[in-house]
Amino acid sequence: MNAVPALIAVVPVRDGILPAGGLESISEARGIALLIGSDCPAAVESARGVARRVFTVEATDQSPAILGRVAAEAIRRSLPDHSVVVPASPDGRDLAPHLALALGRPLHSGAIEIRADEVRLARQGGLAIAPVRVEGPFVATLQPGIRGVDFVADTTLEHAPLSISAPTTGHSVVSVEVRPPDASTMDLAEAPRIVGGGAGLDSDARFAMLAEVAASLDASMGVTRVITDRGWATHERQIGTTGVVVDPRLYIAFGISGAVQHTSGLGQPAHIISVNTDPHCPMMQMADLAIVADANEVLVALAHEVTPVSPS
Amino acid sequence: MIAVCLKWVQPHGAADDRFAGISAADQSALELALRTAEARGDEVLAVTVGPVGAERALRDALACGATRAVRIATEPGVSSLRTATALAAEVDAADVVWCGDYSADRGSGSVPAFLAARLGIDQALGLIDIEINGNGSHIRAVRRLDGGRREVLSVTGRAVLSVEGSTARLRRAPLRSVITADAASITVRPLESPDISAADLVPYRPRARVLPAPASANALDRVRALTDTGAAPSRTETVVLEPAAAARRILDALRDWGYLT
Amino acid sequence: MSRFDADAIVVGAGPAGSCAALALARAGKNVILVERGPFAGSKNMYGGVVYPRILDELVPNWWETAPVQRWVVRRSTMILADDNAFTIDYRTPSWGRPPYNGATAYRPDFDHWLSRQAVAAGATLVTSTTVTGLLRDPAGRVNGVRTDRPDGDLSAPIVIACDGVNSFLAKEAGLYTATDAANFTVGVKETLALPRSVIEERFGVRDDHGVDIEILGGTSGVNGGGFIYTNLETVSLGVVLKLPKLTAQSKRPEEIIAGLKRHPAIAPLIEGATVQEYSAHVIPEAGLSMMPTMVTDGMLVAGDAAALCLAAGIWLEGVNFAMASGMYAGRAAAAAIDQGDVSAKGLAGYTKLLEESFVLADHRKLKDIPGLVLSDRVQQKYPGFVTSVIERVFRVDNPNPKPGLRRIVREERKRAGIKLGDLLRDGWKGMRGFG
Ligand SMILES: Cc1cc2nc3c(=O)[nH]c(=O)nc-3n(C[C@H](O)[C@H](O)[C@H](O)COP(=O)(O)OP(=O)(O)OC[C@H]3O[C@@H](n4cnc5c(N)ncnc54)[C@H](O)[C@@H]3O)c2cc1C
Ligand SMILES: Cc1cc2nc3c(=O)[nH]c(=O)nc-3n(C[C@H](O)[C@H](O)[C@H](O)COP(=O)(O)OP(=O)(O)OC[C@H]3O[C@@H](n4cnc5c(N)ncnc54)[C@H](O)[C@@H]3O)c2cc1C
Ligand SMILES: Nc1ncnc2c1ncn2[C@@H]1O[C@H](COP(=O)(O)O)[C@@H](O)[C@H]1O
Repeated sequence: MNAVPALIAVVPVRDGILPAGGLESISEARGIALLIGSDCPAAVESARGVARRVFTVEATDQSPAILGRVAAEAIRRSLPDHSVVVPASPDGRDLAPHLALALGRPLHSGAIEIRADEVRLARQGGLAIAPVRVEGPFVATLQPGIRGVDFVADTTLEHAPLSISAPTTGHSVVSVEVRPPDASTMDLAEAPRIVGGGAGLDSDARFAMLAEVAASLDASMGVTRVITDRGWATHERQIGTTGVVVDPRLYIAFGISGAVQHTSGLGQPAHIISVNTDPHCPMMQMADLAIVADANEVLVALAHEVTPVSPS
Repeated sequence: MIAVCLKWVQPHGAADDRFAGISAADQSALELALRTAEARGDEVLAVTVGPVGAERALRDALACGATRAVRIATEPGVSSLRTATALAAEVDAADVVWCGDYSADRGSGSVPAFLAARLGIDQALGLIDIEINGNGSHIRAVRRLDGGRREVLSVTGRAVLSVEGSTARLRRAPLRSVITADAASITVRPLESPDISAADLVPYRPRARVLPAPASANALDRVRALTDTGAAPSRTETVVLEPAAAARRILDALRDWGYLT
Repeated sequence: MSRFDADAIVVGAGPAGSCAALALARAGKNVILVERGPFAGSKNMYGGVVYPRILDELVPNWWETAPVQRWVVRRSTMILADDNAFTIDYRTPSWGRPPYNGATAYRPDFDHWLSRQAVAAGATLVTSTTVTGLLRDPAGRVNGVRTDRPDGDLSAPIVIACDGVNSFLAKEAGLYTATDAANFTVGVKETLALPRSVIEERFGVRDDHGVDIEILGGTSGVNGGGFIYTNLETVSLGVVLKLPKLTAQSKRPEEIIAGLKRHPAIAPLIEGATVQEYSAHVIPEAGLSMMPTMVTDGMLVAGDAAALCLAAGIWLEGVNFAMASGMYAGRAAAAAIDQGDVSAKGLAGYTKLLEESFVLADHRKLKDIPGLVLSDRVQQKYPGFVTSVIERVFRVDNPNPKPGLRRIVREERKRAGIKLGDLLRDGWKGMRGFG
């Protein structure tokens, strides 16, 4: 008997598109999933090779409260004893509390791993882990980008559509439109080399320098949320769960602690360099080359090395 | 009435309140609550679930222009659901409830959704851009979706809204209000059956990730692909260097790995 | 209070301001303490040793609650030349017991604690608020302050300026006649992290006992001095440099600190330490000669704002002078309010309290010392002279016989290029100057 709790992934679907972390949640649940939202059949296709057993519910009303109630009913009808894992994408985060309430279960939000007897939750902006003991079925949200996806070749996929009706009510919050990522976002998302800057860089001006160094290395510039909050870079430059998900081959991190919300948007770079004064922070642990130094000074030195000295 | 939920965070524990405060997100929420109330000619209720130190957040809110403040007394560590339930009882008459996106310590971002569920009203969470119309009856909000997509929402009735820290800059409180807020009265109510669970924290370590299966049909090639150190280096080299040496070391590594010639 | 927001406004919650507010609150006055930082002490720095004896009057048994790092039980003075050093070392366990003598403490801790004493006594502390100017009544008397907050004017019959060195309030009130860069030194400090046990081993102390080392020489030829103080898990190492010399020699303070850290007498003490913090601050150094008028109608000045810091290269006492002058200012203000006369005349009691206490007495007594200690001869010639004399006294040069002290002194004096007359005059000045 497997000691890890039996899991089902509940994944909200928008127009047939799986959210960030959707496939990872399905992997975490060993291929068992409930897809709920609009145009589920298309989403089922994109889960092929990861999902083994899929339930779907087409929902007419996509508000989180209604989705939560419908998903709870779907679980009661399909796998009522299974614990639930929801991707901690924006739509997943919206849904999970309502689902937990409708099922009458505890919510463990921001999990990075679900183990036999505990759920490990990212806390303090991703710099710490809180292990929480598990007693009975629960609902957890799983941080996208932290586990990867198990692709299993030649699996058969069992698909069971469920039909659950929900009362339609008027709403005070209405979705007007979904805007696609804009050009500058795409630029970063597809960049093969990224130079990133975080709170270890001390001023607005450093990011102009960072952009220059990035350009001379043929790389794009990315930042952490701390930097966008300070207004030193636009949100399109932010890497992570709530920013852009990137997948470069090379990542150079200046003064970045490596909080899970940041690194989960990082893909799987083949090479990581980290410059940080704290040798023990997660970004340094992840790096192939970890340099303990003042990132500001290293940046200055690097700018000096890479920009050709103009003849005087 | 407009309500705002403020979470008091004490990063150095109760004994040292010097660095305690509310998050940038909660400051934005307070500012937006004040703006909505100004547009509507309405009152602002500031609520916190927390220890006595949290009253400073409420006094700051009063100094900035909140009309009323309530503290639901408890120690830190109450669950999101319990917190939201307590908040709901306090703000159930509010038309708009403003929250921060994430609290700085627990950071589950689940209180606002639980609050909307308890109040039985709609939610708009993780907002990054807010426009309030002239009389405060309509709010246009932009929300972050994944992959750089954005969702534009229209809010026309009762709702719980949560905002990121960069959405609005909290105004400076007038001096006289700061001084009088020191003596302002704050309603304190007990929290029944607090379910405090102070989980021990351990340092964050990245979880081992699943690598995509190698594509080759040949077993030997697959093994090679998985074990080839050139493709998947796994050992961290940590060096302490002076800035100039560090810069050179970075360029050397980039050359070794074939990024520079 | 009818016309006014408070009985008194104190600007700046450093040691001077908190003690002023504390004294006023104790006297039953309604006092508002305005601080620009998010909490008292948040932006404040210094070398690291407080001599809090004066607190006995304000906070009895202060040592039970004050946030202290280590009690100073050992004081050394080091004279550094090129690669050698001569140290005078004193230690006594009695300074490690109540009522104590001096302590190392972090300013964000200490200043915050002191401000809480004032608040506990009834003072109103307003943080994150910068005073931007003085308010005056039609007769020109100071009666309040302007701040950077909206609706930010505050009125009170008395304002006490405790806003630190280069006090713009004292200047705005016209209390300083002239300010000359020659009157200032710049203090630069590194906080170096080391394990607690390593600090205790290297500095020869145990438990919560610590060391205060003052250094003459070792500042790369720039007139000034240095210091090393032990905290629980860090060591504060810094230099205090004469401003005009520093600019003239176009040396950067961080180079000078790096030079000091490389000196063979210092390097082993801090080996392997990581820099936790780097900070710099200006110090009013010229003592009596630069002090402003202490009172004007409706206003008093205390602490560094009144240039009361006792700083002369190797001397660094400012916090105790600030606390005492703040306390006296608060008391004098309270008395003036009771008398109903807050004019310069009514506030004159303040100057009297300063004169009668160590605050001005010490400055009088030591008035020639800063000039002497920072003079070119003491700075450039004496350290090398002293250490080479000592070197020869202790050197065993068999089969040659010992040369005798008088001869060594004469020869080394000549080699250092020091005139006998100058040496005698400086010696006499020093004897007289230290009282
Ligand atoms: C729900 C949620 C979503 C989030 N989404 C995102 C997201 O999408 N993207 C994102 O980036 N963050 C996100 N965050 C925030 C995230 O948790 C972290 O707070 C953030 O990533 C930290 O950024 P940082 O590394 O720049 O700052 P810090 O964590 O403050 O780290 C600064 C680092 O710089 C180092 N340092 C300091 N001084 C120097 C120096 N002189 N030289 C060298 N190094 C120095 C320090 O040692 C430290 O490691 C999210 C948080 C939450 C709760
Ligand atoms: C490097 C260095 C080492 C030193 N070492 C020692 C030592 O070891 N021992 C010792 O006793 N002394 C030492 N001193 C001297 C000591 O730091 C000062 O004498 C002492 O801090 C003076 O206290 P104060 O209250 O007058 O001023 P400060 O401590 O400077 O406090 C002034 C306060 O006013 C606030 N403020 C300023 N302007 C405004 C405004 N406009 N509005 C509102 N608030 C304002 C500031 O934020 C600050 O909190 C050292 C100084 C330096 C620079
Ligand atoms: N104890 C609390 N008291 C008041 N508001 C809270 C509390 N905890 C959370 N909130 C609100 O919910 C938001 C998100 O918090 P969290 O769900 O803890 O990440 C915060 O920014 C606050 O607006």
